Order: sequence, then C-alpha cells, then structure tokens
Amino acid sequence: MSPNLLLLLLLLLMFFSLSITSSLSSPSPADSPPYLWPLPAEFSFGNETLSVDPAVALIVAGHGGGSPIVRAAFERYMGMIFKHASGRASLLARIRFLRMVEYDITSLKIVVHSGSEELQLGVDESYTLMVSKKDEQSIVGAVTIEANTVYGALRGLETFSQLCAFDYLTQSVQIYKAPWYIQDKPRFQYRGLLIDTSRHYLPIDVIKQIIESMSFAKLNVLHWHIVDEQSFPLETPTYPNLWKGAYSRWERYTVEDASEIVRFAKMRGINVMPEVDVPGHAESWGTGYPDLWPSLSCREPLDVTKNFTFDVISGILADMRKIFPFELFHLGGDEVNTDCWKNTTHVKEWLQGRNFTTKDAYKYFVLRAQQIAISKNWTPVNWEETFSSFGKYLDPRTVVHNWLVSDICQKAVAKGFRCIFSNQGYWYLDHLDVPWDEVYNTEPLHGINETSHQKLVIGGEVCMWGETADTSVVLQTIWPRAAAAAERMWSTREAVSKGNITLTALPRLHYFRCLLNNRGVPAAPVDNFYARRPPSGPGSCYAQ
Amino acid sequence: MIFITHKHCTKPPIQRLCLTCIYKERDFYDSLLFFATFFFPPLIFIFTIFRFTKREKMRGRGAKIAGVLPFFTLFMAGAISAFEDIERLRIWPLPAEVSHGGRRMYLSGDFKLVTEGSKYEDTTEILKEGFDRMLDVVRLSHVVSGGRNSSRSGGSALLQGLHVIISSSTDELEYGADESYKLVVPSPEKPSYAHLETKSVYGALHGLQTLSQLCHFNVKKKIIEILMTPWNITDQPRFSYRGLLIDTSRHYLPLPVIKNVIDSMTYAKLNVLHWHIVDTQSFPLEIPSYPKLWNGAYSSSQRYTFDDAAEIVKYAERRGIHVLAEIDVPGHALSWGKGYPSLWPSKNCQEPLDVSSNFTFKVIDGILSDFSKIFKFKFVHLGGDEVNTTCWSATPRIAQWLKKHQMSEEEAYQYFVLRAQKIALSHGYEIINWEETFNNFGSKLNPKTVVHNWLGTGVVERVTASGLRCIVSNQDKWYLDHIDAPWQGFYDNEPLQAIKDKKQQSLVLGGEVCMWGEHIDASDIEQTIWPRAAAAAERLWTPYAKLATNPDKVTTRLAHFRCLLNQRGVAAAPLVGGGRVVPLEPGSCLAQ
Repeated sequence: MSPNLLLLLLLLLMFFSLSITSSLSSPSPADSPPYLWPLPAEFSFGNETLSVDPAVALIVAGHGGGSPIVRAAFERYMGMIFKHASGRASLLARIRFLRMVEYDITSLKIVVHSGSEELQLGVDESYTLMVSKKDEQSIVGAVTIEANTVYGALRGLETFSQLCAFDYLTQSVQIYKAPWYIQDKPRFQYRGLLIDTSRHYLPIDVIKQIIESMSFAKLNVLHWHIVDEQSFPLETPTYPNLWKGAYSRWERYTVEDASEIVRFAKMRGINVMPEVDVPGHAESWGTGYPDLWPSLSCREPLDVTKNFTFDVISGILADMRKIFPFELFHLGGDEVNTDCWKNTTHVKEWLQGRNFTTKDAYKYFVLRAQQIAISKNWTPVNWEETFSSFGKYLDPRTVVHNWLVSDICQKAVAKGFRCIFSNQGYWYLDHLDVPWDEVYNTEPLHGINETSHQKLVIGGEVCMWGETADTSVVLQTIWPRAAAAAERMWSTREAVSKGNITLTALPRLHYFRCLLNNRGVPAAPVDNFYARRPPSGPGSCYAQ
Repeated sequence: MIFITHKHCTKPPIQRLCLTCIYKERDFYDSLLFFATFFFPPLIFIFTIFRFTKREKMRGRGAKIAGVLPFFTLFMAGAISAFEDIERLRIWPLPAEVSHGGRRMYLSGDFKLVTEGSKYEDTTEILKEGFDRMLDVVRLSHVVSGGRNSSRSGGSALLQGLHVIISSSTDELEYGADESYKLVVPSPEKPSYAHLETKSVYGALHGLQTLSQLCHFNVKKKIIEILMTPWNITDQPRFSYRGLLIDTSRHYLPLPVIKNVIDSMTYAKLNVLHWHIVDTQSFPLEIPSYPKLWNGAYSSSQRYTFDDAAEIVKYAERRGIHVLAEIDVPGHALSWGKGYPSLWPSKNCQEPLDVSSNFTFKVIDGILSDFSKIFKFKFVHLGGDEVNTTCWSATPRIAQWLKKHQMSEEEAYQYFVLRAQKIALSHGYEIINWEETFNNFGSKLNPKTVVHNWLGTGVVERVTASGLRCIVSNQDKWYLDHIDAPWQGFYDNEPLQAIKDKKQQSLVLGGEVCMWGEHIDASDIEQTIWPRAAAAAERLWTPYAKLATNPDKVTTRLAHFRCLLNQRGVAAAPLVGGGRVVPLEPGSCLAQ
C-alpha cells in the first residue's frame, strides 16, 4: 500500500512540475507535435533525449504482471522497436568490442493490478506510462507502465513503442522529449472494424495482419461479417453442409481456424464479434441446405415458415458460442427484401394463416433469432432497420447498429437502447471518396446532448465491406482512414474537435501512416482524395 | 474437367464465368471426378457434363450448355492431351519434367527433415530454415491437427518426412551454379519419406518450393495432403538470371516490405533482386566512406544503415536470391549532391554528376569499395541510362574542361561510364549497364559488361552479336510500373525472340521485371508486382517447349498461384485486367 501511495505522490509531483514548464495536453502547432496516434487523454513531456537499451529488461509486478499476454506483447513490441539490423542483436555484440555503452533506459516495468484476463466489452483499458531517466534518487524505474488489466498494459506498450524512434546517427533507439508522463484511457468502450469474408474470402494470415494493425491504432473489436449471400466460408459442425456454400474448398475456415483467430485477437486485446446476417443476407446457406430457401428460384430471405430455419440458426449459434466468448453477437437484419416470401406459395399461405404481413414476418424472424441468441447468453446486435421497423418490440438488451440514417443513434438511445455508430456516409471504408478528414470529423455523439443518452452510445465502427476488397487491397483500403476514426473514438472529444486539424492531426497521421508502413502494413497515402490510390509521384512517406 | 473450360472459354467474360463454376465444385463430384480421371475417362465426361449442366441450369443457362454439347463430345473423342494434364497440376512455374499418379498421401504431424547421406552439413541452417518455412506456408496459418494420428489419416498413406540429399558441401551462393533438383513423392505402397536430390542447397530450396505447391490443407480432415502421388519431378531453370527490380529512391521501402518482396520472389523461383538504391530523388543508404551521402534521404528516418543493407543481402542469400546493387551514374544521381554539393555541376544545374572533377570518381570508388564489403554478388549495376548532358556544357567550369580535353558531351558521357566501369572492375565486380551505353559506344564497353535492355527491340540481337552478355527487360512488356500491361504480355515476352544462333542464345543471361517506384510505395508494391511478375517468372524458368503459346491457356493455373500468394499473405492482385486491378465484384479468388 505505502509504496503505491509514494508512487502516486511522485507521479503527481512530476506531473505538476512538468505541466508548468511545458504547455501540454493539446500541443500548440508551433511545437512539433508529439507523434502519438491516437492522442492520449493526458500527457506531458520535457526536453531530454534518452537512449533505450536493446536488451531492455522486462520487470513485472501486480497480480496480472506475470500474464503470458504481457510477456508476448513485450516480445512483439521489442521486435518492432528494434527492427533495424544494428538494433537488438548486433548492438549487443558490438558492446563487447566497444566500451560499455551506457543506456538511459535499461528496464521496462509493467504493473498490472488485476489477475483476470477476461476480455469483454468495457474492460478497463486505462494505463499510465512514465518515461524518465534513471537516477539514484528516483525509486521509479526508467519506464513504467501501470494498468488495472493486461489490456490496459497492451495499450500502454503501444504508446511506448510510438515514443521510440531509431536514430540513424547513433544507430540506437531514442526517446525524444523525455521525461514523459501519460495518463490515458479510451473515450468509447467499443471501437470496431468490420471485415467481410463472404464477398471475398480473406486468408487467415491476412485476418491476422488486420488484427495486428488494429492494435496499433488501439481499436478493440473485430466485427467479423462471416457469412452473406455470396459465400459461407465457416465450418459449423452441427450443420456440416453449410460451408458447401464456400467459394471453393480452399476458401474456408475450420472451427479451429476461427478459434485461433479469436485467440490471436485476444493476445492483442481485441474482441471478435461474429455476425450471421439474417434473414436477408443468407442465400449461401441454402447451397448446403436448399430447404432454407423459400424456393429454388427465390432464395432470399431465409424461409420464415420452417422450424428448420430456426434450428439451423440455433445450431450455428451453439457452434459459434464455443468459438466466440465475446458477449455481443451480431444478427444482422438489414436490407430484407421480402418479395420471395410474398411470391412463394407455401410461405404466402403461412403468412395468410397467421394473418401476417411480410413486415410482421420480418419482425417475427428477427425477434425469434434474438431469443435464440439470448438463450445462448449473447447480447444481440442488429442493424438499424430492425429498430426503425419495429423498434419497440426489440429486446431491450439489443444494441442498435447504425449505418443508414444519420440520426438513428439519437433516436435509439432516446428509447433506451444502446447504439453503435457507423454512418455510411463517413465510416464505410468501401466508400473510396471519403478522405481522411471527413472520417476524422465525424462525431458519434453529434446531436446527443444528455449525458445519460451519451452513455448509451457504446462506440463506433468503420466498415470494410468486401465487394471490391480482397487480399490484394484490403489493408490499404482500411488504412490510414480507419486510424482517423480510431482517434475520434479513443481520444477526448475536446482534443479531436478543436483547432485546425491540418495542424493538430494531419502531421501526426502522416507519421502514423509511415509507422504502419514501417511495420509492414501497406497503409495508403494520407493525402490522396480517393482511398487506396497509389502515391501521386516520388516523395517522402511523411509528405504523402 | 478443367480442359473443357479451356476449350470453352476463349473470351474473357465467359472465362470468368467458367472459372466460377469449375471452382464451385462440390466435394462429391470432386472425388468422383478425381478417380474417374485416372481410371475411366469417359466417366469424367459424363459426370462433368452432368455437373456442368446442373450448375448452369441453376443459373438459368441450360440452353447455352446444350448448344456446346456436341463440341464437348468432339473434344472428348481425343485422349487427355499432355498439355491439359500439366495444366491440372497447379505448379507455378511449371517444372521441366513431371510425372504423377493418382493416389492420396498425408503429411505426418511431425513431418521431419532427414539428411543422411548428404554431403552438405547445413551448419548455417539454410536448409533447415527453408524446410521450416516450407511447412509454414503449407499450413497457411491453418490449425493442423490429426496428422499424428496415423490411423485417422490413412495409415500407410502417411509421409513421415523429407529425405534431402545434397551432393555439394558448400553453401556459397554462386551465380550460374546448378539450381536443379529431383523430387520424388512416393505412392502409398512405398510410403514413409519423400526424396529430394540436388547438387546444391539452393537447388534444394527450389525443390522445397515445388513440394509446398503439391501440398494442400484438407479442410475436412484438417491435415496436409498430397494428391496424385507418386510424383517424379526433375527440374532446373532455363535462365540463370531471373530478376526483379525494386526502387528505393522514388519511395523509401521499409525493411519488412523488402523482406516480404524477397520471400514472395522465392515462391516464383526468381533469383535476383535488383536493388535500384539511389536515384535523383533520394539517397537512402549509409555509405561509411562518404557519410554525408545519405543526407540525400527523404528524411532522417527513411534510410538504410550499412548493417540494414548487409542484413537484406543475408536474408536474400539464405533464400537463394542474389542482390544486385545499382548506382545509376552519371544521369540519375542528383541526390548525391545534397551531402556533397561539389558533385553537382552547379547549384542550379545538378545533374549529371560533375564529369570534370576527380572527387566524383573518388566518391564512386568509395561507394563501390563499401559495396564490395556487403554486396557479394559478382555483378554491380552502374546504370548509365537517360543521361542529359546539357548541364555539362552549360556550366562554364565543365565546358572549359571539355574543351581542354577535346571532348564532346557524348564523349564525356562515354568517358564517365568507362571510368566508372574500371573502378567497379578494380573492386572485383563485373558490370551491368543500361542499354544506352551499348547503343552509344558499345564497342568501347569492357568485355565483362552485361548490357541491360529496357528501351527498344533488336538490342538483344545486336548485343549478343557483338559478343556481350545481355539481360532482357523491354519496357513495353516487362516494366511493372506500366500498369496497363496485362499479365499475358509478361508471359508472352520471349527473351530469345529472333535469336537463332546457339552461341548468341547463351549470352542472354535471362530477364528481369522492373518495379519502378514513382507511384509505388509500401502500400501498393506487392499488388503491382504480383501476379504479373509470376507470369514472367515462368517464362524465365520453364523449358521453352513447355510454355504455352497462348497465355490464356495457363489462366487457371496462374489464378491458382495468385490465390496461393494471397493465402501466404502476399497481396497479389486479381488477374482480370492490367496490373494492380481491384476486384470488380464479389467472387472466388480463383475466378478473379
């Protein structure tokens, strides 16, 4: 207890003394900005340059410090920070020949208070990061990351890695503008990216590249739109014919593959939210089970009349429950064209027998699917059409996922529902004509003023629909624009809303895009009006 | 069934359709067809028609298929031709000689590398690492299970490992050395080990690449299988120089990006990375002898240390890839003067390098001396293209020097190139120069010069007729930055076109596809290179007689290779269209 108090006191002291000397939290354009993305909630820095030992030692403390998630992340980040040849290994050898090289930073201390590794919506991602020169009087280690959970520690490590820069003259890794004191936490608990493996199959390796890149921008939910009308790539043991709807034998995920993706994501503090989009986007289901189609010539939406349809949904959800531990499950429910129901004799008769309009049947379908999800201990997420069509019947636990109408979150939270913001005009990444600044300036809480309502907006999501995005272009369509949304969702509203973003954000985004490139992520140039276009001519990464 | 689509699909739009239906195979038909292929050809025919008709009807195109039925019948009257059989193999580039059977084998969960009887000791673990990489790409990040359980995966059909026998003990990567290999995968009656025999470890790496393409992840059994065993493959490259140029001056390419490019080259058996390091725009590499040169980098962080370059060379060499370093003098060197302004004719006329100053050649000497410590390839590229000499005459100091030495601008250009050649030779290098040097003063070039074609046609004939060696990169077909150039042109481009004389043919070392960097950075390099570079790679590897005369015949196999690259995390673009096209609509990777 007492060392903790002491630490806190010291921190406070440091913070105050520093914030007097250097004016902080939002950098004035005159200063060169701190090249951090997304911008931390609170930070202060000084004017020293510190060198980092390539053999920097990891020291862990707290109940969660010993977690393998922390250890693995440390190793990952060391690989990224010391990626130049004269970095980690060879310098060590060099030291033996030259005199002992004194580094300012020789250890990295990670304190994690909670021993729980459970990753759920709203998990504490806050952290503090301190970087200061080691000196005799200081009981504080050179670099300390303190967090309540391992996932907070991961965010802190990412920030730390962004402070480190390879200096080409000394050929060592340096931290500029030390000492640093950063206290950070996300503004929204849900910061998502959608990928679509139905329109184009994405190989496992590519999904992992996407997940890894998300962690660099502190995004924390991978919304996996697994299935749609075009293909059904996932194995579902309960209904083994479903993945016959895959494009080919090679374009499939086994249950183990999906579990591996979830594990890989969890190691990076990212939840995976699966989606089965019913009843409208499900034609491919019928390749394995044609009974799910209203008829052979009219195949969508799923046949609402049959218990078999709901048995299959229940089977899929039961199989998926074993793979996906996240509490949210996306049931789709968008763009349901019910003509096939009207035009298929047996469905029409069923509607008449129940005195249902097609809209009633749509409602019936969605609500029944919701109950199946809830029975499997899932919280349903549905696209906004379900809310706009029959909002008052939705289960009160439903999270409404906006995409179509700009004020739908406003309406949904007024009715007490939670909401995820994905306004297609700005946050659909497949819309190539939305430049980064429009993505950046889109505010999920726009028009929502009551605090109690604001709290119901759990976050937002950028959507990488897959019609024209396959392995060859998916990453450069996502980045760097997804990063613009990521800062909007992570940083404080004040920090991202005031000032001239050409000065406060653009230089940092240039820098972050080059950081992605340096880490092997093919993020496209920032300055192009259209997304994923090649650079307009020769030039520096930082100027494009 | 594949060959039917080939005949059927002559026009691109229909072809796409066909690919879709072929790859939308259902497993039941798959297995039937598989056995039928080898035991009862008429049966395939019936099943194929049945399947085809069924799918087409689903799409409401029954009438169309009925129309072409007589055509199928005619075609089926002939036996399966050798060509179509090869196209079914899904190996890229196609090996020199292949035979196979029709049985299925599985890889054991602990598939081992055995090297008993090999003269090569692998102390540097080039082979072992290559073997591990092979297993990685075969697994394609899938979770592989069940392989250990031999009863579940078919008992006797289980392959325990790969036995590699290498007869040369050296691991020196030597240009022109034997890259051949012989790969045997047994049938289930004689199981246990696959065999790979080679002269050098680098031939073994090629064999491992081929083996990786024979392996498939079986999504149902969740193990790795090899179909159509037994396999007997004897293979060697047609050309010893199979290159890809990257350009780190127009845009800096981060280290992981270069490494990814190198890895992807190995999949297509390319063996020379031509590193166009420096140009007008930036000078990213550290040169210890002249430490201000990299002041010409775009920024302090868009640089390669000397150790970085050594690491790239090592990384490439361990994969059997030579790194050809280029400094493009005197025409493409403006960025040198950022650190040493005296290399410019003058402040306002900065290119080409000052021909009149000894310092210029001292710097070249320093660079090449430093190069010789890390770039171990026997060649160095000295550029020499696109030299606009007006700055020389326009600068009084140089104009006087020209006058004093009674040199025209053209003669000064020749003087510069030849003097640079001598410096390179003094550091033990043989020289490669762009073709303008040959076009302007070919008879004066050092006989060790390799002329690098890019501009015109007819150059290769003239160069080889004069007794010099040549590398082919004609820009109309093999420049990857020409994004309107389709893969068919890359496939079709024959380096020995119109060269009949055997002696002259032997002077063509090979070819190179060029990824110039004006519009290429870390975000789009892979999809601009692939899959078109692969089309050229087959041209450079596979025996002439086995190459398709009509590139469209190899579409299916190339589409498969493109998807293989995707599965391995390489962002290879769709085939339909020119370079770096994006998919136009949803669909299978194999159909786009």
